Amino acid sequence: MSVDGTALDVAPRTARSAAQDASAATPSKGGLGRRLAYVFVALIVAAIIAQSFYVVQARPGDLITGVHGMVDILSRAMPPAWSEVGETLWPALETVDLAIFGTVFGILMAAPLAVMAASNVTPARPLYYLARGVIALTRAVPDLVWALLFVTAVGLGPFPGALALSVHSIGMLGRLFAEVIEDMDFGPVEALTLTGASRLQVFTHAVVPGVLPSLLGIGLYRFDENLRSSLVLGFVGAGGIGFRLLTAMNLFQYQTVSLLLIATFILVMAAERGSALLRRQVA
Amino acid sequence: MRYPNGKLALDGVDLTVRAGELVTILGSNGSGKTTLLRCVARLEDPSEGEVLVDGRDLARLNGQALREARLALAMVFQRANLVRRRSVLANVVCGTLGRRRTLWTTLGGLPAEELSMARELLRKVGVERLGAQRADTLSGGQAQRAAIARALAQRPKLILADEPVASLDPEAAEEIMRLLRRLAVESGLAVLCVLHQPSLAQRYSHRIVGLRDGVVAFDLPADLCADQQIAVLYKDLAA
Repeated sequence: MSVDGTALDVAPRTARSAAQDASAATPSKGGLGRRLAYVFVALIVAAIIAQSFYVVQARPGDLITGVHGMVDILSRAMPPAWSEVGETLWPALETVDLAIFGTVFGILMAAPLAVMAASNVTPARPLYYLARGVIALTRAVPDLVWALLFVTAVGLGPFPGALALSVHSIGMLGRLFAEVIEDMDFGPVEALTLTGASRLQVFTHAVVPGVLPSLLGIGLYRFDENLRSSLVLGFVGAGGIGFRLLTAMNLFQYQTVSLLLIATFILVMAAERGSALLRRQVA
Repeated sequence: MRYPNGKLALDGVDLTVRAGELVTILGSNGSGKTTLLRCVARLEDPSEGEVLVDGRDLARLNGQALREARLALAMVFQRANLVRRRSVLANVVCGTLGRRRTLWTTLGGLPAEELSMARELLRKVGVERLGAQRADTLSGGQAQRAAIARALAQRPKLILADEPVASLDPEAAEEIMRLLRRLAVESGLAVLCVLHQPSLAQRYSHRIVGLRDGVVAFDLPADLCADQQIAVLYKDLAA
């Protein structure tokens, strides 16, 4: 077992540097207690890392012997099946549309939730806790799991994937939106309240213009993430390129697989660049 | 005015500001200047006493009636508190929202019938050329002028100014004080202003009120207000 060996190897070094730190900063005070604390933390970190190696059954040897299997697959995947480009366009569009649907509905649902979940503008305490609860739930369950749930509910195809992305986006966007609202500059809000404007007027004239650019930026970033997720969602039968990829893998059509991977790469890069460009525009 | 924690912030302050008059409140930190302004605007609830604005007692009113009575007073802050991403003109028009309560303005629209009035106000405060610019492109002094224009758009009878020049350079500070004085004299507004600069107070106000420990130490016409009287306000209370 290498666990003890690693721990013993790390601990004395850390202890030495901790001692140096301590003597440099506070020559006499609390030196020993601090040193012991460092050693303790170092031991724990080393143990955590070591157990992860053990649990995932890391065998570097297998990786080396497996290389020739990888080379074999790669050689069979070359050249990509360019003749199938036409058939790839539809699933590619489906993937992009999954991301668009998921982002748009995520934003539409997350915006009102965020207003309730921002402690400084929430209309009522119970609503605050309710909104925070919904956000936490939709966020904590990964989109892949939502997709599995929706596939059982509405059957195979892109629709369950779109629903899964929407629901997961509600949580991710809701939390970020709420944070933006909580961090915003409250001066204009107070100023407009004092002019005698109603609560709703204050909201539309001071809160909305103050947070809109950040919200758009976050929404665009979410689109980028949703696109990447939508590729994986296909693996559980929720349409798009991912579904084609899974089928091709199962049928050992490696040339199709390589074409689909290239298409994926192009889509992800385009979404990343596009959303970064647009985010700069609204900033 | 007594805070819930038992601290007596203002005690027996009796102050009248007439139309056309600029009154400055001076006092050290913690003397109750800001509390006084916030009481007048009913941002704090005075524990006793009256706040009469245009004949109505703000301290007694609540809800709709309070909101309507409050329309008579406008506030200018230390920071301009403009909505940064909107145009200067839009910011000024926002001052009219209190009397323009329509579905359109509730949804974020601006009352079109107020635009020419807002331009007029921008001219009055001397920034008419900047109307189309975004508010975050203005300098501190320009922003404060726009904020004053927004306050005027409300058509108030009283302007409360809480350290309106504290974050401005000396030249801009002079200009803002000159503007406030002019508004009082020419437009017949009552202006109640909290300042930290005795010299500005002496030059631009009609009357100076010295606050010390929540009590009015003196209330004098500015030209009768001697330097040592002001100095007493800032003396260490233990001494």
